Amino acid sequence: MNKKSPSEPLLSVEHLKMHFPVLGGIFRHQVGKVYAVDDVSLTISRGETVGLVGESGCGKTTVGRSILQLYQPTAGRVTFEGKDLTRLSRKEMRDLRRDMQMIFQDPFESLNSRHTIGNIVEEPFVIHGIGTADERQQKVKELLRRVGLSARARTRFPHEFSGGQRQRVGIARALALNPKLIICDEPVSALDVSIQSQILNLLLDLQQEMGLAYLFIAHDLAVVKHISDRIAVMYLGKIMEYADADTLYAHPAHPYTSALISAIPVPDPTCRRKAEILSGDVPSPIHPPSGCVFHTRCPYAVDQCKETIPELAAVAGGAGDNHQVACIRTGELRL
Amino acid sequence: MKLNPLTIRKIRRFKSIKRGYFSFLLFVMMLTVSLFAELLVNNRALVVHYEGHYYFPTYGHMLPGTTFGLAYDYETNYRELSARFERENKGNRVWLPPVPYNPYETDLKTDAYPPFAPSIAEKHYLGTDAVGRDILARLVYGFRIAIAFSLLLLVTNYTIGVSIGSAMGFWGGKFDLIFQRIIEIWSNVPFLYVIIIISSIVVPSFLMLVLIMAIFGWISITWTMRTVTYKERSREYVLAARALGASNFRIIFKHIIPNTIAIIVTFAPFSVSGGIVALTSLDYLGFGLPPPTPSWGELLRQGWTNLDAWWISGSVIAAMVITLMIVTFIGEAVREAFDPKLHTTYE
Ligand SMILES: Nc1ncnc2c1ncn2[C@@H]1O[C@H](COP(=O)(O)OP(=O)(O)OP(=O)(O)O)[C@@H](O)[C@H]1O
Ligand SMILES: [Mg+2]
Repeated sequence: MNKKSPSEPLLSVEHLKMHFPVLGGIFRHQVGKVYAVDDVSLTISRGETVGLVGESGCGKTTVGRSILQLYQPTAGRVTFEGKDLTRLSRKEMRDLRRDMQMIFQDPFESLNSRHTIGNIVEEPFVIHGIGTADERQQKVKELLRRVGLSARARTRFPHEFSGGQRQRVGIARALALNPKLIICDEPVSALDVSIQSQILNLLLDLQQEMGLAYLFIAHDLAVVKHISDRIAVMYLGKIMEYADADTLYAHPAHPYTSALISAIPVPDPTCRRKAEILSGDVPSPIHPPSGCVFHTRCPYAVDQCKETIPELAAVAGGAGDNHQVACIRTGELRL
Repeated sequence: MKLNPLTIRKIRRFKSIKRGYFSFLLFVMMLTVSLFAELLVNNRALVVHYEGHYYFPTYGHMLPGTTFGLAYDYETNYRELSARFERENKGNRVWLPPVPYNPYETDLKTDAYPPFAPSIAEKHYLGTDAVGRDILARLVYGFRIAIAFSLLLLVTNYTIGVSIGSAMGFWGGKFDLIFQRIIEIWSNVPFLYVIIIISSIVVPSFLMLVLIMAIFGWISITWTMRTVTYKERSREYVLAARALGASNFRIIFKHIIPNTIAIIVTFAPFSVSGGIVALTSLDYLGFGLPPPTPSWGELLRQGWTNLDAWWISGSVIAAMVITLMIVTFIGEAVREAFDPKLHTTYE
């Protein structure tokens, strides 16, 4: 095993692909594929927040779940602290799960409605055989307090709580085993706007305290803007642009990024920006467009875009490896 | 163990459906009565007071006639003993059950042939069948056998169905495909014929009949469990458990099956009524339990061949209708109270 260098990322995803079979016909055989994730690469360092942004259905959840090996990826490598997750034995993977956790998109769905809050938060300890029953109860109390719930919540059931409170339970469960990385799959998008910032602040506090790294998934840039160190913009299973948060805002290099930025509501009405409204619908991931998948909706598309699949590569004259874009017309465009 | 408030709500809703709830209470009463049928319907006395001693012959070994100063050493005839003690009037006494007959004994008369019409004086409240056995006794004990049969069948079917069905839904793939084909072929086998063929070769015992029925009975619950498990397994709470490192065993038993209880419970009453009907029809056709086992199907057949003895068919049909109605009412109420489709957890 290679020695860990300080610059080695905590998680690195290389050319990850996740294609779901589409079954059909009388014999339920495969009649096609959903190209849910098609060649995604990204890295996350310790304590860092990487935002993953894209419209609904572009494959963000699938990226998160494939990283955690909840789905068996079709191709590609997921390396966590130098270990290739796709090659681990069942036992090794189980132990490694203590280091990487997930907060789910839907707080109504992600808690088992038949278990008490106490059981739900205790489950990680039970699964990994940590502590005696009393010690576990103590830890559950601490965790609940840490996420802002009262210890009395332990004997109650999920449906007795609001969405925000349930999401706190989900966070407590994810924190239980002291993970190094948490994949936050749109943790606030199902919540009221007034609750969203509370949950985001909680996540930020926890990150400070515990040195967590986040892969923060969201469907618009507004949410990830303030909390991410780096942001990956995803479209139809592919990464379109990957850069430091500031760079991405100040100098978007991909037409899709620039369209997403212009979609962020601006608080100051006097500050007018040219609105780049995306025309058309997102194509189906079963039949993704040829060449650049974005060409069907791109205002700058040329004939060449229909043929060449753009590679994710460093922007010339940009911030080096820290700004990557997948567009054959970078440099020509003034976004 | 703390009962989930959702479950409590379901039970409360079940109680609020009056027809179903009363049927349920009635059914429980019938079960209890049939469980202690020996105390109510029996040719053995409840208590015998003889020369200062008390005897309780209901359960345990048979007491020979000599125990009570009679001239024979086969089992005491308590009805005669009772009459005799009354005649002698020496302070000895026999307390008989309300129906002092057992379902196997034939109560014959010297001057007439059975079936005998109902008679309160003779304590044949529903009359006797074509061989002189008390119909009420046969109904009560037949009910007990039919219910035991249905419940045992239910447990067997559920054990097979839940394990295979949830495995199919959970693992999918080849295992699922193979069992799907097996089920498709299996469900096209005309099972009544198969049972009739088997029963005409060997006379099935009670357990064997349950087993034969179970060979065909597991399919519907398996299919349901497969569908439900398949749906549950990709829900986020299962993914969350998996992300924590939970084993498949834990996921199935701690997460998925508890979430399918509602469906299992909803199925049960209909499964019970199905079991009763199946056993009765097999007995009616003469391919069920061997005679002289008390059985509704056999009574039904007697009623059919002795149409002028209206009390035979009358009482067995009434018993059938009442029982099936009660079970169906329970089933309806359970379904209404537990139906997951009616019940959303979203507030
Ligand atoms: N288990 C699956 N089997 C087949 N197709 C799937 C599966 N999971 C996801 N997909 C498909 O893959 C595509 C990407 O789905 P995914 O849930 O990853 O998108 P998303 O970006 O998370 O969307 P959202 O913002 O709505 O959560 C969708 O077209 C979806 O229908
Ligand atoms: Mg999603």
